[in-house]
Amino acid sequence: MRRILGLVLLALGLAWAQGDKLKACFIYVGPIGDAGWTYAHDQGRKKAEAALPWLETRYVESVPEAQALPVIDRFVKEGCQVIFATSFGYMEAVLEAAKKYPNVIFAHATGIKRAPNVATYMADFYQVYYLNGLAAGALSKTGKVGYVAAFPIPEVKRHINAFTLGVRAVNPKAQVLVRWINAWYDPAKAREATEALLSQGADVFAFTEDTPTVIQTAAKKGAYSFGHYTPMLKFAPNHVVSGQIVHWDVIYIDFLKRVKEGVYTAKNLENVDYFWLLQHKAVEMGADYGVPINPKHVPLLQKAQMTVGGKKVSVYDRIMALMKDMQSPKPTFDPFTGPIQDRKGVVRIPAGKKATLQELLSMEWAAPGVVGDWPGEPK
Amino acid sequence: MEEALLRAVLFGTPILLASLGALLSERTGVVNLGVEGMMALSALAAFAVAQEAGPALGALAGVGVGVFLGLFLGVFAVSLRANQFVAGLALAALGLGASGLLGKRYEGVPLAHPLPEEGFALLALGLALALHYLLLGSRFGLYLRSVGENPKAADLFGVSVDGVRYLALALGGGMIGLAGAYLSLAYRPSWTDGMTSGLGWVAIALVILAGWQPLRAVLGAYFFGLLFFLQFRLQGSVPIPSEAFAAMPYLLVILVLALSGRARAPKALGQPFDRGR
Repeated sequence: MRRILGLVLLALGLAWAQGDKLKACFIYVGPIGDAGWTYAHDQGRKKAEAALPWLETRYVESVPEAQALPVIDRFVKEGCQVIFATSFGYMEAVLEAAKKYPNVIFAHATGIKRAPNVATYMADFYQVYYLNGLAAGALSKTGKVGYVAAFPIPEVKRHINAFTLGVRAVNPKAQVLVRWINAWYDPAKAREATEALLSQGADVFAFTEDTPTVIQTAAKKGAYSFGHYTPMLKFAPNHVVSGQIVHWDVIYIDFLKRVKEGVYTAKNLENVDYFWLLQHKAVEMGADYGVPINPKHVPLLQKAQMTVGGKKVSVYDRIMALMKDMQSPKPTFDPFTGPIQDRKGVVRIPAGKKATLQELLSMEWAAPGVVGDWPGEPK
Repeated sequence: MEEALLRAVLFGTPILLASLGALLSERTGVVNLGVEGMMALSALAAFAVAQEAGPALGALAGVGVGVFLGLFLGVFAVSLRANQFVAGLALAALGLGASGLLGKRYEGVPLAHPLPEEGFALLALGLALALHYLLLGSRFGLYLRSVGENPKAADLFGVSVDGVRYLALALGGGMIGLAGAYLSLAYRPSWTDGMTSGLGWVAIALVILAGWQPLRAVLGAYFFGLLFFLQFRLQGSVPIPSEAFAAMPYLLVILVLALSGRARAPKALGQPFDRGR
């Protein structure tokens, strides 16, 4: 009897909620102030709420991956109609909850498994990394570019490869020295890894870690760097050249609008996968919002030359042209266009072909120019 | 090579400072497992004050918070005779949680005027020497040690056991606070939740590794700093997987610990003193 009453109340509640506001709830893996991943998602949530008057949001931060299910239970009880799970590690919890609550819509960031009521989404940086790689290749005097990397997973490897392809397009002899810290957040490791790379001659830095530590450390020794995830120009105004910036709000707004319009329901998400790039405006190349390249370094990049199709062009012009192209609705350029061999000489992308989404998502090989340990490298 | 030695000292410094702080109180018989939380809160206080009033006052604020938290632990571990391990763990959790909560507005903000790391490193070395002399070469050190070895006897000789323990916790807390200030004012220099990243626990382990001797703590801290740096310096040039490298500093420390033989802990370590019993 109590259960039936509960169900009736729940149904009434849902009906009422649907007539009024759409309630979207977010599960965050880290604290919202981490200046990295979770911070960026929370900015997205806030912007979506500001843009959509009919939207109501709620979030729970610092949810360990094993604790996701109870949080989802609570969200459903509170009447959440759309639940965004923002960490790869929530996958099993999301799929289980999706079965338990077939009328609730789930969206799983960086996920690889879908269901009728589970969509997946990702804002990916690989194009931006390529553009930043071009700049890094032009700015390095030693020909050694440092990369402090989080975990050896396909996502990070894809970014390092794209970055290295960019570096090599400008300086075919340059090396990208990679150091793994095996953590998304660990300022001490990021600091010492940067110091190690500096002592080996690296003079330009890119990284995947959730703090500006690499930037601050590099700047102390006068080395250039590229920010990651959020605008990091303010941490070293003279040394940050550009960086990768995410706009999750673009995906959140699009997704929620379609839910509101009834295009997305709890029955048709099986094939809904956002892999959004520059053309969708889900990511941005920048030292800060709206600053693709720090004006202080523009003259250097204008002076630097590279060869494209047998012709000399300025690196700055090349970056701007490619960025414009990849931001257009139908980009013609893609960094992973063959012929591309890996660093062992195996052809990974044949001439004239572009890497497929599947190839991008499962990338394990290392591009030529990558120097250092590469766990999981194919033989 | 020079680079490696410099990193050994500069990364070893916060571990050394925190370790000296824990060592001092352990010498009087009080285990301090709250180091991680104390460092986190001190780092935050140092950063917050430094933003408002300059880095020197910031460093002082870090030390002050450390002293306060040392005394705070004393209320439970000395006066109330609570289980020292539980009280310390509670303080560690409290400090980490509270710093995360209070520090939200300082996340993602660069520090206007960082302090030089080298200054802290020299200070830490000086403190280690001073502590060595204090413990082993001064009359006061004798009181300190007697409280840690045999509080009953010390009490009979008119030494205030609780007073000495409070003093050691306060002074030690100040050093732990300085370690926190180093992280947020010099090493990083900025504040993020969880920025102590386990260094407090390393410092506690180092006390045992050093056999409760300040000068050995210096070597231990620098050794750890060196290994921590080398895991990245050697990664890729030696055919060892990066995950194994990441474990290396901890493994080698355990190995040294095992090989160095059993150091003798202060006899009354971890035992609350109750005159009536």
